[in-house]
Amino acid sequence: MTALAVRAPAAPPKPRRLAVKVASWTVAAVVLGAFAGLDIDWEELRELPGDLVHYGTLMFSDPDWSMLPEALLQTWRSVSMAWLGALLGVVLSTLLGIPAAEGVGPLWLRLPLRGLFAVIRAVPEVVIAIIILTVTGLTPFTGALALAIGGIGTHAKWTYETIESAPGGVVEAVRASGGGLSETVRWGLWPVVSPELASLALYRFEINVRTSAILGLIGVGGIGDMLTTYTQHRQWDTVGVLIIVVIVVTMSIDAISGAIRRRIMEGAKARGVERSS
Amino acid sequence: MTQAPASSVAKAAPQVPPKPRTWPRTLGIVAVLAVLTALTATPALGGVEIDLGAIAKNWTNGADRIGKMLTPDLSVLPRTWQPLLETLQMAVVGAAISAALAIPLSLWAARPTNPNAPFRAAVRFVLNVIRAVPDLVYATILVAMVGVGALPGVITLVLFDIGIVVKLVSEAIDSADAAYMEAGRAAGGTQSQINRLTALPQTWPAYVSQVMYSLELNVRISAILGLVGAGGIGRLIDEMRGFYRYDALSTIVLEILIVVVLIELASNVLRKRLR
Amino acid sequence: MNDLTTRPEAEGDMPSASGPWPVELDDVTVRYPNGVVALKNVSLTVGAGEMVAVVGLSGSGKSTMIRTINGLVAPTSGSVRVGPHAVSELRGRALRHARGDIGMIFQGFNLADRASVFHNALVGRFSHMPTWRTTLGLATEADRAMVMRSLDSVGMLEKVWHRAGALSGGQKQRVAIARALSQEPAVMLADEPVASLDPPTAHSVMADLAAINASRGLTVLVNLHLMDLARQYTTRMIGLRAGEVVYDGPAASATDADFEAIYGRPVQARDRLGE
Repeated sequence: MTALAVRAPAAPPKPRRLAVKVASWTVAAVVLGAFAGLDIDWEELRELPGDLVHYGTLMFSDPDWSMLPEALLQTWRSVSMAWLGALLGVVLSTLLGIPAAEGVGPLWLRLPLRGLFAVIRAVPEVVIAIIILTVTGLTPFTGALALAIGGIGTHAKWTYETIESAPGGVVEAVRASGGGLSETVRWGLWPVVSPELASLALYRFEINVRTSAILGLIGVGGIGDMLTTYTQHRQWDTVGVLIIVVIVVTMSIDAISGAIRRRIMEGAKARGVERSS
Repeated sequence: MTQAPASSVAKAAPQVPPKPRTWPRTLGIVAVLAVLTALTATPALGGVEIDLGAIAKNWTNGADRIGKMLTPDLSVLPRTWQPLLETLQMAVVGAAISAALAIPLSLWAARPTNPNAPFRAAVRFVLNVIRAVPDLVYATILVAMVGVGALPGVITLVLFDIGIVVKLVSEAIDSADAAYMEAGRAAGGTQSQINRLTALPQTWPAYVSQVMYSLELNVRISAILGLVGAGGIGRLIDEMRGFYRYDALSTIVLEILIVVVLIELASNVLRKRLR
Repeated sequence: MNDLTTRPEAEGDMPSASGPWPVELDDVTVRYPNGVVALKNVSLTVGAGEMVAVVGLSGSGKSTMIRTINGLVAPTSGSVRVGPHAVSELRGRALRHARGDIGMIFQGFNLADRASVFHNALVGRFSHMPTWRTTLGLATEADRAMVMRSLDSVGMLEKVWHRAGALSGGQKQRVAIARALSQEPAVMLADEPVASLDPPTAHSVMADLAAINASRGLTVLVNLHLMDLARQYTTRMIGLRAGEVVYDGPAASATDADFEAIYGRPVQARDRLGE
């Protein structure tokens, strides 16, 4: 090591990248413009804490527990929508998502499929429900169908991404031993990706539980429907019960589904270890 | 996985270890799935009535409206600019406010950056509760509280974004190797010093990526917030639907679609460059 | 030229906290919560300015021992004293202050890969900076100058604005040494500093440590699992086996028989590091 300098050494100048500067100023301008453009009286925010306490008291100080059975029934209807929507959506997404994966389907099939997924992703489930209720009417079935179709957008994308990120070795091995496309999918791909796909399917259900409550707001039934009605009637003691039910049910389903998903993924890892040893 | 053919080598059949019985488990899983599906599809128990007959019956009616949707009425476009702009402004403002709030919350919700277990658990619990309430439910209640307009919409988006950004970023911190923490402690640093100087830059890419993702989701959500009176283009959707103007409705949907796809493309480019 | 960094320092040459300090372990036992006893009644004294190698197999307790010295691991019984600090008695702010006087470098470098080299080395100034300064990202000129000088002394100054993750293994360990030097430590601990490096780089990092010991008179404790390096660069060697001191004497005169006592098996080729 060299002798130590008495004075602080001359450090190289700190690099200032123009692109970063331009990007940060652009972001700042967009955000400030959006703040300024919104027709919001920010003074109102000062009243917000008071409002929250006021309505919070109305909702939760003395909830009307006599509404609990009806709330639970409507929640079950929402969960049913979520479940059937997830089931149908996952089946459709798997059928459409596998050929959309690179290395499985040909390009002329992959591109239109991916385009379709992107379009569905861009349309909110509520809008899908509004469109299909012209045929099916304002029923929970409409909600389930909207969830199924809306789910294809993201779920099919996850499906082909999972397949594409699967380690190629197993597929190669099946190909090398003379397997065709269907054998490759069944024996090369499926064993590797099925745990992750199962986990994603459960996750789809968790998302649907939330979305089904939203769909209720346009009138297809379930807890969301009930919530709109009582909010519009300003029966805050009932709204309080509904919110508590939504939170408890959603968190419980998340916890159960999450535990199952962890088990699925850990099982997959354990089996992977057995395979490699 | 693939067994080498052993028959040519060994004459006698090899000692095969007993095959583990997996079918009872598989059967059990299938049974649970089938029962759940049957229960959810039983209207008598409060489930969903799968009414395929209604589709057949309403088909002409529906086909008529879908036909209308296939011929978008572009004359509605000028009326959409202002609400569309408001939708985008709400999305940006919601993402910006939640991004600022998410920085300390993410650090508090992750194990390496917050060793105080009870505090961490409390932060996580509150966030889980926030995430358990669907976005439009917030909007509905907030509209009833503070009145119709963009403000309840923005608050809804902030609550929604904080839920996902903090969850995903804190999980990224949790799963990342945090060996630099030990170095910071060995140098006599406080937790906030370590967080500021090393954990923050370390988390930056995950953070930016999730904020961009929340912006994408915001555009989608703020498009429908107007359905319950929380501002943006959703108000027009509700209006057109009320007047059965399905040709105008499809114009608006197409417009949202284009904007969402554009934002997604821009965000993808940005996220790739950040990596 | 950056005027911030050219300011001459009155004290001149990298002052240590207050000259080198001795390190004393008195009957130290460490029992982990899972029941493993990592150190058994270890008593030893390292004189001020000594350069000592601690050798032993992995799991022999040498990592634990070095971590008890700066309080990253608290002894179950016994006491640890470093210069004026009774480390094993200290908590909170006092412990952080003591750690600030003890530099440490790690096998895995423990750098924040996405943070710049400068920020990583600034971690060494933590115990000298108030938390609010770090939070606002404001380092004083003196802190900056100290970091720059430390980086310069290990030849890493021109990389100061690079990301730590973009460096090679040897460069990372140099930055880690600069981080420890920025603390102006009185004692330097090194936990397997060369185990992740290729042989030529390992030798140059060991030479750096020896130079720090010689030129600044720092007390240096370095964990090694290779005997060659211990013989070549240190004056005294402490052998640990299953948490107990089995050898304590001059490094140069340690025989193969002594190594067998430490390793519990005859010396093999893999215990030596090629030149």
